[in-house]
Amino acid sequence: MPYSGGPMTEAMYYVLLALMNPNHGYQLMNAITEVSNGRLHMGPGTLYGVLTRMQKDGLIALTEDDGRRKTYIITIEGELALRNEYSRLMALVQDGAMLREGDRNE
Amino acid sequence: MNRTIHKLRPTDYWRIGEHESWFADMAAEGLHLKKMGLHFVKFVKEEPKKTRYRIDISINREITPEQKQMYAESGWDYVTSYGNFNVFSSPVELNAPELHTDPAEQSYTLKELDKRFAFNAIGVAVAVALMIGMVAFIWMLGSTPVLNLMEGIVIQQTILVMVELYVAYTSLKAAISIRALRKTLSEGKPIDHNAPWKKHHRVTFFIACMFIIFAVLGAILPWVQIAMSVTKTLPLEDTDLPIVRLSEVEQNPDLARKSPYAQDDIDWGNRYSYDWSLLAPVQYESNERGTVPNTMWKGGSGKYSPSISTTVYQLVIPAMGESVVSDFIKKYGRIYRGGDFIETDHADFDLLIVHEEDELKEVFAYKGKAVMYVRYHGYADINRVIESTARRIALISD
Repeated sequence: MPYSGGPMTEAMYYVLLALMNPNHGYQLMNAITEVSNGRLHMGPGTLYGVLTRMQKDGLIALTEDDGRRKTYIITIEGELALRNEYSRLMALVQDGAMLREGDRNE
Repeated sequence: MNRTIHKLRPTDYWRIGEHESWFADMAAEGLHLKKMGLHFVKFVKEEPKKTRYRIDISINREITPEQKQMYAESGWDYVTSYGNFNVFSSPVELNAPELHTDPAEQSYTLKELDKRFAFNAIGVAVAVALMIGMVAFIWMLGSTPVLNLMEGIVIQQTILVMVELYVAYTSLKAAISIRALRKTLSEGKPIDHNAPWKKHHRVTFFIACMFIIFAVLGAILPWVQIAMSVTKTLPLEDTDLPIVRLSEVEQNPDLARKSPYAQDDIDWGNRYSYDWSLLAPVQYESNERGTVPNTMWKGGSGKYSPSISTTVYQLVIPAMGESVVSDFIKKYGRIYRGGDFIETDHADFDLLIVHEEDELKEVFAYKGKAVMYVRYHGYADINRVIESTARRIALISD
């Protein structure tokens, strides 16, 4: 399913986020754990699937390919999609702010 | 010491969880997966080791080196592939991260396979439907389905259709299962890596054995039929074969043999053939021709030259006797000569139908396991043909 805006999966979001710095394979997995503050440990299967799909959709691209090791980077479209998603998520969080006030009233 | 062990490959290759747990259970017994062949799975016998196995679907037919590399860096070693299914293993104590941590994302990896399987299933279904149509057509040739079955013409095709039906069933099952798996994954439910496999294995093993038996049967039956087929010249003297002889009908000491078609050591005008088929393991067919000196056909068509032919089957299923008689009439009966086919009660037969028109006399009969058709051209009385038929049919009716 090509990406056409709208909510991203968590995996997509974090891979894009981690690819703000060009990265490859195993290190990328660690980078994802890092940007998610240790919350997300993405398996290599999931990562590979997301990478292939997003590359097809033009959200990420290869910067280096020496056959064995491929280095990915986010594209302009990818960054735009990521920023849109970020704004969407922010809006979601802001809309939920009432819950925090609810906490205080308890 | 490393020993290679082969096990019959489960036919339900699309069951990912069951295969993973099967490989793991085998490794715990010391059988480590080596290769997935076309029909066999190759294991290497070593020390038992607790091992995790994961099967990953590659989008393209071949898994990329990049993917292998990435999995290896996480502790998952590539083992073998079958189709788009790639097997990876990792020792339990290594505690490698799961390959797929997001079932919804994993469901995307099944998309291409799902499409291909669905396409495949439809293709196979159409091909099998065409085959069934073709076999049905062959079966109904001459409107004598029972006889066609007896002669073994359609048995092989029918077996082939059964084999093809099984293939169609498998590809349909594969398509449905992958579609269902894709759906469960997209709902966020992961694959059960410890799915019980024993029951499925027994069932698929049984089905695979049946499949092999049917396929082998289908392949060798025609050869057996050809190998069993024999044609010989009829000896002049009487034989104990279940065929009616010209001499016992004519009862004329002056009767001499007429051999217009002798060739390759066989007198094709005076011969008998033996054949075999699955449902009629004993079959005889004979022709015999003679002349009587100084006797002419009435009506001035030359020298009197009577002839007789017999077709006789011993059936495996006696209940089919009546149908074979009816198909004999359709296939061999000289209906175009006019006259009636008269069913007659006779103590020596379970069914007797006679057809007489001028010098043509036809007898269709069955008794017990035996079905017989005798055609006689000549002036002897039809009752002689019937008596001889009764005597001969008794030879193989039990």
